[in-house]
Amino acid sequence: MNTIIDKIRSEFHREANAIKDLKDLEPLRVKFLGRKGLLSTSFDRISELPKEQRPLFGKALNELKKELENEYQNLIKQFKAKEEQKRKLDLTLPGRRPFIGGKHPLLIVADEIKDIFRSLGFSIEDGPEIENDFFNFEALNIPKTHPARDMQDTLYVTDDILLRTHTSPVQIRVMQRQKPPIQMIAPGRVYRRDTPDASHSPFFHQVEGLVVDEGITFADLKGIIQAFAHRMFGEDVKVRFRPSFFPFTEPSAEYDFSCVFCKGRGCRVCKNTGWMEISGAGMVHPNVFKAAGIDPETYTGYAFGMGIDRIAMIKYNINDIRIFFENDVRFLNQF
Amino acid sequence: MKVTYRWLKEFVDFSETPDELAELLTEAGLEVEEVTPLVQPFSGIIVGKVEQVQKHPNADKLSVCQVRTDKGTFQVICGAPNVKEGQFVPFAAVGAELPIGMKIKRAKIRGVESLGMICSKEELGLETHSEGIWAFDRELPLGKDVYELLEADQDWVFDIAVTPNRGDCLSVYGIAREVAALTGNKLKPLNSEVEESLETKIDEIVKIHIHDPEGCPRYAARVIRDVKISPSPDWMQRKLEAVGLRPINNIVDITNYVLVELGHPLHAFDLRQIEGSEIHVRSSEAGDRFVTLDDKERLLPENTVMICDAAKPVAIGGIMGGQNSEVSGQTKDVLLESAYFKPERIAMSSKKLGLSTDASQRFERGADPENVIRALNRAAALMAELAGAKIAKGICDVYPSPLKEKEIPFKADKINRLLGTRFSEELIKEKLTSIQLKVNEGKVIVPTFRHDLSIAEDLAEEVARLVNYSNLPAKDFTTIFYDMPQSDHEKRIQYLRTELLALGLQEIFCQSMVKYEEAEPFAESAPIRIKNPVSDDMACMRPSLFSGMLKAVSYNLNRNNRDLRFFEIGRIFTSFDRENIPTQPYAVAAVITGRRDLPNWNVPEEFVDFYDIKGYLETFLQKLFLDNYKIILYDNARYMAAGESVAVRIDDEIVGVCGRLNPEVCGIFDIERAVYGFELNVDQLQKYMIFDRQFQPIPKFPYSERDIAFLLDEDILAADVVEYVRKNGGSLLKSVEIFDVYQGENIPEGKRSLGLRLRYQSTERTLSDQEVDKYFQQIINKTTKHFSASLRK
Ligand SMILES: [Zn+2]
Repeated sequence: MNTIIDKIRSEFHREANAIKDLKDLEPLRVKFLGRKGLLSTSFDRISELPKEQRPLFGKALNELKKELENEYQNLIKQFKAKEEQKRKLDLTLPGRRPFIGGKHPLLIVADEIKDIFRSLGFSIEDGPEIENDFFNFEALNIPKTHPARDMQDTLYVTDDILLRTHTSPVQIRVMQRQKPPIQMIAPGRVYRRDTPDASHSPFFHQVEGLVVDEGITFADLKGIIQAFAHRMFGEDVKVRFRPSFFPFTEPSAEYDFSCVFCKGRGCRVCKNTGWMEISGAGMVHPNVFKAAGIDPETYTGYAFGMGIDRIAMIKYNINDIRIFFENDVRFLNQF
Repeated sequence: MKVTYRWLKEFVDFSETPDELAELLTEAGLEVEEVTPLVQPFSGIIVGKVEQVQKHPNADKLSVCQVRTDKGTFQVICGAPNVKEGQFVPFAAVGAELPIGMKIKRAKIRGVESLGMICSKEELGLETHSEGIWAFDRELPLGKDVYELLEADQDWVFDIAVTPNRGDCLSVYGIAREVAALTGNKLKPLNSEVEESLETKIDEIVKIHIHDPEGCPRYAARVIRDVKISPSPDWMQRKLEAVGLRPINNIVDITNYVLVELGHPLHAFDLRQIEGSEIHVRSSEAGDRFVTLDDKERLLPENTVMICDAAKPVAIGGIMGGQNSEVSGQTKDVLLESAYFKPERIAMSSKKLGLSTDASQRFERGADPENVIRALNRAAALMAELAGAKIAKGICDVYPSPLKEKEIPFKADKINRLLGTRFSEELIKEKLTSIQLKVNEGKVIVPTFRHDLSIAEDLAEEVARLVNYSNLPAKDFTTIFYDMPQSDHEKRIQYLRTELLALGLQEIFCQSMVKYEEAEPFAESAPIRIKNPVSDDMACMRPSLFSGMLKAVSYNLNRNNRDLRFFEIGRIFTSFDRENIPTQPYAVAAVITGRRDLPNWNVPEEFVDFYDIKGYLETFLQKLFLDNYKIILYDNARYMAAGESVAVRIDDEIVGVCGRLNPEVCGIFDIERAVYGFELNVDQLQKYMIFDRQFQPIPKFPYSERDIAFLLDEDILAADVVEYVRKNGGSLLKSVEIFDVYQGENIPEGKRSLGLRLRYQSTERTLSDQEVDKYFQQIINKTTKHFSASLRK
């Protein structure tokens, strides 16, 4: 009787010692502790024993079962621990990376410009890219015979409908629907009949600014451009105004920022002048006010423009405007 | 406009250096783009004397010369026929470098040693072609640096960008007037004296009639006889060349010279070709044709000012002369025209003719009617001097109604109010008079050369630029008000961008002008064409963002950037009635192609498909605060692949499409891979986006889920089943998700298994299993019956 118990126990130990892997534990359980395992069949054979031996044998079997189950659980723990050690991560392997997007650099700069003007109290306006002759030219004091209207410069859809050559038509649209005071910018795409090269694109992006109220002067215009220059490129940037000509402003000005690369000392980028041409500005011409239905005797105002592409090129030191519209991911990923 | 420093000095005495002058002009609104010295500086060329000239023993055309300098005598082989003993010449010794970039080396020419070079003007960069060496016209100290000799005569060319309003500055004299005002010096008067050496009066020779005084307010002429056509003198040729004009002959050069000097275009006719010796100024009629002196027959725009003789037109007034009357080598007598044409008329004709000349540019921007006689006299005097001509008595000057000087009320306070300054009346007056405006009794009188000044604002600019813009005050920025709400449009666009960026898409910014072929497939009817496109590549406006985006995809694929996820927000250009500006709504679009995941060591390589783009679309739509959108089967967009595209419908409006781009359309862009995308019309979408939302409390009670798999005919659409279950599942059914779709082993042919997970939840209590089971069983029964489905075991 005891020999059977001992036999099962020693067989269990022998087989358990031979086990190398967690997955081999299950067959061990099935063989000894399973429903049709060695212990169960031994219980079944109790009836074969003489009556007086049966309780003792049963008790011994039960104790053995408890003992083996205990050992079996310990084995599982041991192997699981071993397995765990084996599966240790190689932390130097690269992680699974998700696709990630990003903003287009021109729109990053547009956002920055908009934020600056928004913080200065300007509203942001929008207008159509295909415009009427009236809004793009006539209302801006550029009559039919004006040299600026050369077929060379403007892209036409019909004789009277064209791709806007500047964002200035938005000025007129806003003034027509809103009484002063007005303080707005209008960013957007504009078109010119230019052959593409490193510094020209037949479409590019402008921000138009307009402020109209009683008592607005050229000194206000100089102030706002200075404020913008400082916020965009830093406090040490100087601004220079030069007389110029635009049919829709009088007096008109061209404004330059001191070169951000050489701090105005002169370098290749600024062609040794120390200045970077930015864009034009001026006091709104009375004829423009008249076309927009605003009384030029009561109100004065200033308007300015700036090229988003140009500012982005300065900011990121890019020397070919076309790279913005190629959308090469190797370029875009840098922003 | 090009002028030279010395030419300006003929009219104003100023002491500024070329660079200082350039800065002054630029700051006054005459932007000097470049200052270039006329003689490019060089060094190492010295004065030598030709001591001896002998024939080269082995070459007929070469001479062996001995040139003496301060450093000794050098033997030089020279090929110029004009080399002579006793000449003082520019000499380049061995080692010297010529301004044209040539280095002098010790050489053996046909067996005879040569130790330097006698230079021509061409070799020193002083003229474009020389016939022989340059021999100085006087004795000079040997060894003297030749550039130093020239430096005393050095001149600088100023290239000035004259703005279109400043027609008066398209001349040396006009710019000199500005220089005088800016430097505080006096402008010298022009010399326009003429010696009329013929007894014959002009009136006896020609008659002039203006039939179109609106187009030509003034027409004047002189008759010049016995001209001897020849090259003009050196000094004139050099000045013309310096400002970019090619010398032709003395008569043409004189008219050009006066054009540059005074800014007034003249025209010289061969008098013999003027039939009837009559000039008639009239306007053209529709269909008139004319051969200009460049040998081109041109169709004349109606209402072009034409200069005619008794029988035929002889010139397009103010634009270009005719071939039939131009001055030639045989010309003896010249009719010299000086006229004033109305700027608008010249601009109109020049534009319609596509013909822009030095003359038309001046008349277009406004010449000075008072210059008519000055220019005529100046040219006549030069012709007498340089072409040996004789000038008939008098001028034929037809000027029926002289143009008056404009008057502007003088209001110092208005100027100050505009500039934000406090200039005294005296200062303002002084500035205005410095540019030859007269201030009298509360009025400013504007001379006829300043067409651009007509209102007080114009005067403000004059004062400002003469004071210098840098000296005007700048006000610290203070915002005037403003309680301006941000536009909803701007807010929404930014919102869409943020959500797309959050989805991991890259923002791109594409061309809006595309090829016809790239636009056509996306256009509902025809794409909007540009009448005068930059090129065929940019002939149409994009009817869909896909037009530009597929170009960007193609560009990247060609450069082996293969995994792309792009989005763009921008205007598209749709319906157009040719009367009003086209509808140009904002659209938002995404395109994806390539691998589903970034390649990695433990990620299997799979490529994006329809369900990826649909997933992007669904996630995006979920974030847009839309109430009732539906994704429906849609095959109406021909640029989408058949059987692989859906649309987004809100109410009864289709607001966008989604799916695979039609492979044939991709082919137009040379894209062979599968590209998936969606595009939504933002203007339509905007109407349905409702940002004002009430917060919905998070349910307090737990949910119960039940799974069921239906065996259905494979043609039954998943969305229909889900929709049916959702509608008929009772109020406690919160959501229906598809967790499994299966066809294949164990599923009968023609059937499909669809696994649904139903979630039940109440806002008021915890649901009991029995209750959930009851509703669950009810919907299973209804669904099986409705779709003739069975349950998958
Ligand atoms: Zn610089």
